Amino acid sequence: MRHPFYLVFGMALLGLVTTAEYRGWSLTSVNEMKNVPKSVRDNPGAYRAHYMFYPRHIGGK
Amino acid sequence: MSAAPPPPQVKSFHCPNCGGPVVIRGFATTLSVVCGNCHSILDAKDPNFAVLQRFQAAERIEPLIPLGTRGKIRGDPYEVIGFQVRTITEEGVDYSWDEYLLFNPYKGFRYLTQYQGHWNDVTVLRTLPEVTNGARPVAKVLGGTFRHFQTAEARTTYVLGEFPWQVHVGETVSVMDFVAPPRMLSSETTGSETTWSLGEYITGQQVWQAFQLPGSPPRPVGVYENQPSPFGGNLKEVWLWCAAFLLFLTLIAMFFSTFARNEEVFHGSYSFAPHANQEPSFVTDVFELKGRTSNVELSTRTDLTNNWAYFNYALINSDTGQAFDFGREVSYYFGRDSDGAWTEGGQRDTAVIPAVPSGRYYLRVEPEMDASAQGVGYEITVRRDVPSISYFLIAALLLLVPPVFWTFRSMGFEQARWHESDYAPASGGGDE
Repeated sequence: MRHPFYLVFGMALLGLVTTAEYRGWSLTSVNEMKNVPKSVRDNPGAYRAHYMFYPRHIGGK
Repeated sequence: MSAAPPPPQVKSFHCPNCGGPVVIRGFATTLSVVCGNCHSILDAKDPNFAVLQRFQAAERIEPLIPLGTRGKIRGDPYEVIGFQVRTITEEGVDYSWDEYLLFNPYKGFRYLTQYQGHWNDVTVLRTLPEVTNGARPVAKVLGGTFRHFQTAEARTTYVLGEFPWQVHVGETVSVMDFVAPPRMLSSETTGSETTWSLGEYITGQQVWQAFQLPGSPPRPVGVYENQPSPFGGNLKEVWLWCAAFLLFLTLIAMFFSTFARNEEVFHGSYSFAPHANQEPSFVTDVFELKGRTSNVELSTRTDLTNNWAYFNYALINSDTGQAFDFGREVSYYFGRDSDGAWTEGGQRDTAVIPAVPSGRYYLRVEPEMDASAQGVGYEITVRRDVPSISYFLIAALLLLVPPVFWTFRSMGFEQARWHESDYAPASGGGDE
């Protein structure tokens, strides 16, 4: 191929997809927290998740 | 043993019309020569250089390559000895191109043509092409198939230098062009005599280098009839690579689909009533995520009807305290209006949590609903290492983008090429 752009592009894409699939990457937005106290198991209400404060949809046509 | 031939000598004389100096570089092959001063066309074979024709040029044209310039074409030295401008008239518009006559005493003649910055290196063919007439004639020669491009009447409108034929301003020939980029096959017919020539597209830069000309060549304008497409040669190869990549992509998808763990690690059924006066959040039993760092799929299936619920989830590692927080809204509405039946949303939701290390985990779940809602029953299912098709679909689309883009560019280039031909869509002269 005279212009190897597509060759490099295609191989990079295949590599990226393989890595994404192997590592289990996802498009879901997830907030990662460290050191959540073990007491959450005994008192789940004490844990305040990051997503608690997101706006809610009230749907219907 | 024969003696070496004497070096060729340039012959010069004075124009019988104006007395200006005239030089003949083509030796015995020159039949007519043009006085650079008064533009009289002289008979080079006549002892007195009789005037064959006088013509009044509307303007003096300076060739881009001056007469007498020497250069190397395909490794052989050539000298520019003649220059003519030829013109065709289409729908009242004149289109003119330049022809430079090059001479090498041992190799003979060749031509350089120039039209709006597009150059061709042209030699006279000694093989007769095989022409197939029809709606769209085709000519075959030297292993190439050339498609008919245009037929036109070309007249000589300006001459300078010398020529191996009796040149006349106003002389008209019938020209047929056939193309197989980067080559072009042309026939010139005068009376019963037809001459075929083969041209090959070269860049102005190549011409400038060949003749060591100062400055830079004029920039090409538009697309020329035998200009090689910058996309055409690569296009087939790009599509072959695209097919290969898509095949590999499919194989990779099949591999992950076959060997992914795709294991259900947790399932639970629950209900939630917003008006119940109790803490809505709870935690599940601990379950184990095995294997390498991979994704976790969490599915929520509800019995919602015309309502919504929001689930705050936290997937928490019971040993390390690492947590993955996320929220999912599930809403399902349906009804009927003037447009008919409608639905919106669904009773199910699936979220994929990326790159979760192995370990012992539990879920903290906190559902929410409108305070006036009746409540919702729902099931939660957690699966480990689930193959996902979405990345493969995105990659397949991305792989198709460059070939499709280049194909459209190539089609645009070919359209511009044939727009100037006898087969342009507007002319209605073709079968395409």
